[in-house]
Amino acid sequence: MNFSRIGVGCFLATYAVVFCLEWLRLAGRSQINRALILLGGGIGLATHTAYLVIRSNTTQQLPLLSSSQDWLLVLAWLAVVSYMFLTALDRDLAVGIFLLPIVLVLTSSTYFVSDTTNRRLDSLYGWKMLHAALLVLGMLGVLVGFVLSMMYLVQQRRLKHHHLTPTGLGLPNLEKLARLNRWAIMIAVPLLTGGMGIGVGLGLYAKSNQESIPFNDPVIIGSTIGWLFMFALFVWLMTTPRTTGRQVASLTLWAAGFLMFTLIGLQVATGKKIFELKTWHVQAPVPQHLWLARHAR
Amino acid sequence: MNLQLVTCNHQTSDLAVRERLAFQPQRLGEAYETLRARFPESEMIVLSTCNRVELYAAHEGAEHAPGHRELAEFLAEFHKVPLQDFYSDLKEHTGPEVVRHLFQVAASLDSMVLGEPQIVAQVRDAYRQAQEKDASGPITSSLFERAFSVSKRIRTETRLAEGRVSIASVAVGEFGKSIFERFDDKRVLIIGAGQMAEETLRYLHDEGARDILVANRTFDRAEKLAAEWGGKAVPWDQLDLHLGTADIIVSTTGASLVDAPRFRKIRQKYGEKTTFILDLGAPRDFAPEVRKIDDNVFLFCIDDLQEICDKNRKLRQKEVEKAVTIIDQETESFMKDLSHRATGPIVKRLREQWRDVVDAETVRLFNKLPHLERDRVEIEKMIERMVNKLLHPPLEVLRDESREGSPHGLLDALKRLFRIGD
Repeated sequence: MNFSRIGVGCFLATYAVVFCLEWLRLAGRSQINRALILLGGGIGLATHTAYLVIRSNTTQQLPLLSSSQDWLLVLAWLAVVSYMFLTALDRDLAVGIFLLPIVLVLTSSTYFVSDTTNRRLDSLYGWKMLHAALLVLGMLGVLVGFVLSMMYLVQQRRLKHHHLTPTGLGLPNLEKLARLNRWAIMIAVPLLTGGMGIGVGLGLYAKSNQESIPFNDPVIIGSTIGWLFMFALFVWLMTTPRTTGRQVASLTLWAAGFLMFTLIGLQVATGKKIFELKTWHVQAPVPQHLWLARHAR
Repeated sequence: MNLQLVTCNHQTSDLAVRERLAFQPQRLGEAYETLRARFPESEMIVLSTCNRVELYAAHEGAEHAPGHRELAEFLAEFHKVPLQDFYSDLKEHTGPEVVRHLFQVAASLDSMVLGEPQIVAQVRDAYRQAQEKDASGPITSSLFERAFSVSKRIRTETRLAEGRVSIASVAVGEFGKSIFERFDDKRVLIIGAGQMAEETLRYLHDEGARDILVANRTFDRAEKLAAEWGGKAVPWDQLDLHLGTADIIVSTTGASLVDAPRFRKIRQKYGEKTTFILDLGAPRDFAPEVRKIDDNVFLFCIDDLQEICDKNRKLRQKEVEKAVTIIDQETESFMKDLSHRATGPIVKRLREQWRDVVDAETVRLFNKLPHLERDRVEIEKMIERMVNKLLHPPLEVLRDESREGSPHGLLDALKRLFRIGD
């Protein structure tokens, strides 16, 4: 089998099919449907993994640092791993309905972000790796918090309106969702803070070495605003003695949603020069004909 | 004999209707007095639970037996509810359908939670109260006694009562577990100290609940129930405090205790923590508006269980079919017994009357024709066969008719045609 022919479209299409199968679960439980979901998810994940490995070998860099596109694909890959793990563990849990749309958005957005290989990794490789790793793990926490918040609000609505007839949409109890949501924020924000802090340090270091690292970079500004929202949520959680699950879920949904939207939106906007924004995070874009040729595979 | 039933249950009407027709325990004596005054010749039994209000009436003859309309009017006047508000929700049964319905109720086939054990105790309690109030009689007694034995038979011969079968277990299992992850760190407030309260407490205790408070108007009963489950009885006048601090509230009094303004004040004072309220009372203890007070109040009442219970019923369809077969057999058997009770004395007197005629005529025959004495046995057998053949068609018709209830018309006709006295 020629693995080099694997493209983003392969696993994106598989995830889209799995997402449709997840919707079919709502009509009722079926062993065949579950088997197809696990099979489709497994194929998608294997293809996704193979693509990242091939990319890493081609660019001679780990995907986390290679390009914005690869960074987003790593985030999507982590989300799919979480999805597959939870789906295999709990046959009733309908996490795919909530998580797969985000995976699809993340994967689709890679068509619009820069895939140019980062050429500034010669110095402080370890710190740059830590910066990207902390940010991707922090974003995974944010993404998990976002999904848990959606699940909480849906479950709360069902309970309020007494729509509890068992369907394919199995959700954990409110207390568990609130607890996990809280933990997701508690873990994600320190990771993001660490990643941001290291990023600032790397920027200052680069400046001291006469490199031009503008802190008015739109990606940096947008991410910082998103991080500030998350940090405010974190502080609020730490300092407010009596918070209700719904309050936490609503605020997480807004803060995490804003952070994800700005991060992905800015990557897209800067990656293909849609709004003529320039960013240090994106290298010189690949010519259009090369980009199309790469994605057509 | 005449059997009559009017029923308003969870299948025919909403809780909003049932709670208006429910008989409060303290008014049951008054209800029986009124019934006795209106229908002095009838046996009556009132069955009032959170899922049903039923009036069973039995009457020796067809005349003066209360009909559907009369029983409905009694309900309307007693509860001061306009007849048109509930008349279409009332279902009527007569004759063997009454028997079948009661057997289904006692076997919990008609319950919201299939196989639930509480209903037998509730039916037994209703029967006992009717006996105490001198409202039951020989027909209702044999009907209810048979219902208990049918219920026992179904529980023994089918698997209907296996698994999660109590209202409390379904309510806590489905709703409570969708809200809370665990119960051992939750404060549980039980309002009321009756059977439903105890049943719910048992289930919550099994699920790990340990911080249990019991509030009841009669403090002694609260203390007794609390002691049994390692809980604490709390004074009735401190109810608001505990309503504000409990995580799980189970209310079973059926006394319209808490309206929205009262609960709003409580939430304002004690905070808006996540609270699961299970209102098992009929009438409801909590006003339906309470659920809209804030996002963290989850109020469920009996009718909210319906969808889940329907699914439960589908899963146990095979056991339901077995139980229905038993009920059909038992209904037929009971109706036979009942008709035998009604027709037996008439048939016996008819046979005796004909036997007297045969004996008298045989004596005359042998006196006049003594030479027939040597064939006496053969002649007597022949007369016996003739009598049996002549009586067979009317008795066969009587037996057929009595399968559908007491054949008052036929019995009267037989009495008049053959001059059979009472």
